Amino acid sequence: MKFVLASSNREYEVEIIDRDGSTVRARIDGAEVVARMETTALGRVVRLDGETFRVFDAAQRDSLAVAVGPAHFTFKTAAGVRRRAHASGALQVTAPMPGKVLKVLVVEGQVVAAGVPLITLEAMKMETTLCAEGAAVVAKIHVAPETKVDHGAVLIDLGPAPSPTGSN
Amino acid sequence: MPSRRIKKLLIANRGEIAVRIIRSARMMGIRTVAIFSAADSGALHVALADEAQPLGAPEPAQSYLNIKAILEAALAAGADAIHPGYGFLSERAEFAQAVADAGMTFVGPPSRVMDAVGDKLAARHLAIAVGVPVVPGLDLDSRDPSEARRFGEETGFPLLVKAAAGGGGRGMRVVETPADLGAALEAASREAAAAFGDGRVYLEKFVARPRHVEVQILGDNHGGIVALGERDCSIQRRHQKLVEESPAPNLPDSLRSRLLDAAIRLGRAADYRNAGTVEFLVAGDQFYFLEVNARLQVEHPLTELRFNRDLVADQLAIAMGEPVVEPGAPRGCAIECRINAEDAAHDFRPATGTIAEVVLPQGPGVRVDTYLTRNAQVTPYYDSLLAKLICWGEDREQARRRMLGALGEFALLGIETTAAFLADLIGSEAFAAAALSTAFIPEFLATWRPDDARLKAALLAAALRSRSGSATPAVAAENHPSRTRSPWTALGRFEPWSDR
Repeated sequence: MKFVLASSNREYEVEIIDRDGSTVRARIDGAEVVARMETTALGRVVRLDGETFRVFDAAQRDSLAVAVGPAHFTFKTAAGVRRRAHASGALQVTAPMPGKVLKVLVVEGQVVAAGVPLITLEAMKMETTLCAEGAAVVAKIHVAPETKVDHGAVLIDLGPAPSPTGSN
Repeated sequence: MPSRRIKKLLIANRGEIAVRIIRSARMMGIRTVAIFSAADSGALHVALADEAQPLGAPEPAQSYLNIKAILEAALAAGADAIHPGYGFLSERAEFAQAVADAGMTFVGPPSRVMDAVGDKLAARHLAIAVGVPVVPGLDLDSRDPSEARRFGEETGFPLLVKAAAGGGGRGMRVVETPADLGAALEAASREAAAAFGDGRVYLEKFVARPRHVEVQILGDNHGGIVALGERDCSIQRRHQKLVEESPAPNLPDSLRSRLLDAAIRLGRAADYRNAGTVEFLVAGDQFYFLEVNARLQVEHPLTELRFNRDLVADQLAIAMGEPVVEPGAPRGCAIECRINAEDAAHDFRPATGTIAEVVLPQGPGVRVDTYLTRNAQVTPYYDSLLAKLICWGEDREQARRRMLGALGEFALLGIETTAAFLADLIGSEAFAAAALSTAFIPEFLATWRPDDARLKAALLAAALRSRSGSATPAVAAENHPSRTRSPWTALGRFEPWSDR
């Protein structure tokens, strides 16, 4: 089973090998893991590597949220990942959180390299600048300064960079 | 200032501090009035207060920064006093004045004191006048980068751009090179204008690897000023404090008494009233005055635990005309961690959403100040502080170990928080050794890797859920977390986790 960690977009392969009572043997990215997964007075706990973690989870709109002790992970669902892939080669820059557009730093048709600032957002009173993750051309800009955006709103469409080496 | 009993207090704030203030007011037999924006109608402070008044749209300018709407709410509720909390309008002289003009008591310093110290530039000048050392700086009347560049060449880079009306790190920028100066001045000014409605900025020499140490003061309406020890707030990122402690570890007693003395001198010179904090940079055995925060501070519980007092109750008593008295000797050590709705692994990116589950730690020496409840909404409109964990110990190590335990017990489902990062930080050798400076977080982040075991446990939990539930992980059949039927609980037996 594949899980994509939303915060980093990293993909993990998890395979449950077998279970004996509360003991679970699994492979995570090829490495074997043995854990005890039990329900206790604290709710569900995972005992792993000599530590005991309390675990909560909940399905969210496009993801699965899992709290492990003080840590929190959001995994994209298979459906959410598919939806993203369907963007037919075109890349979209989306708002990582609800907020307001402060500045659009590029124009349509502009060729950008990895790391070039594209747009500045304000959320929670802090400014955040979104940068190009790779070489691309700015295909369409959907927002202007002062536009209020929701989490996941499409801000900019990027197309493949007009470079002969242009791969993903 | 005439003394007068407060019978009904409006709290012009939200979040954990509104909850905190309601508790002290209730203890003193004062009725409480909450205010709330459209984003906060279901918030804890609204539920806890005796009454609540709606303000309007979620944007701060329409709600918690809207002086007219807040005064109307106070008059409609028949409040005779307003507590501003921290942030929002707490350091706006015009607000303090408007409250007084409306015939109500402002629980904080009067506008003339705020004018004298609340403005960072004016406070600098006051410090210089009473012989308290300040960081070399440049007062910028305009945002003319050429004058700034000249100052930079004289003092040397890096420089620090600060907002005259600033606080909480907003409108503050480190400038490494002359080329970055113009953009930094512009960005800081814009951020300051957005956050405080005042875009004035100034420049200071950037003191490398300083500690940030501050002194709590209380001033009464009869000229009395007392200092209640210091707090070390060196552990910051983007100039916002993440971990604070009191006393400041390894601070020589002679330096501590010079700091307390400087704070009292400044307080007297400003004729300071009510609770305030005098902030200093400490580098070696030198210290420099930074600014006065003319309000209650986020980290005030540290002082409360060591001095065994209730500073909000002190504020209300002072506002009612009571004199301050010299505090007794402080006891033990206290540490505070700020749990923010931020993803520490990704440059502290803000997180928003609904809290599906929350577990707060308990036990000896553990205090939690928070507005978190199940189904609480964390919106993008306000700052990201969710909860403060404050732990007290007979000594620093006991407080530190209690904090480690408390962070381990804390759990929150629904959004990313800084809690796991803080657990790793408090458990680090650098923190245990009290190697404190404002460079702590960048240096810690350079080597920090999130605990692998937690991720593995999360992946196992996710895999188990998918196996025992529907074919694809967590397809959103239900959209309300509390109503989600987990495949685990649907099994009808609770141990151990297993397939049906």
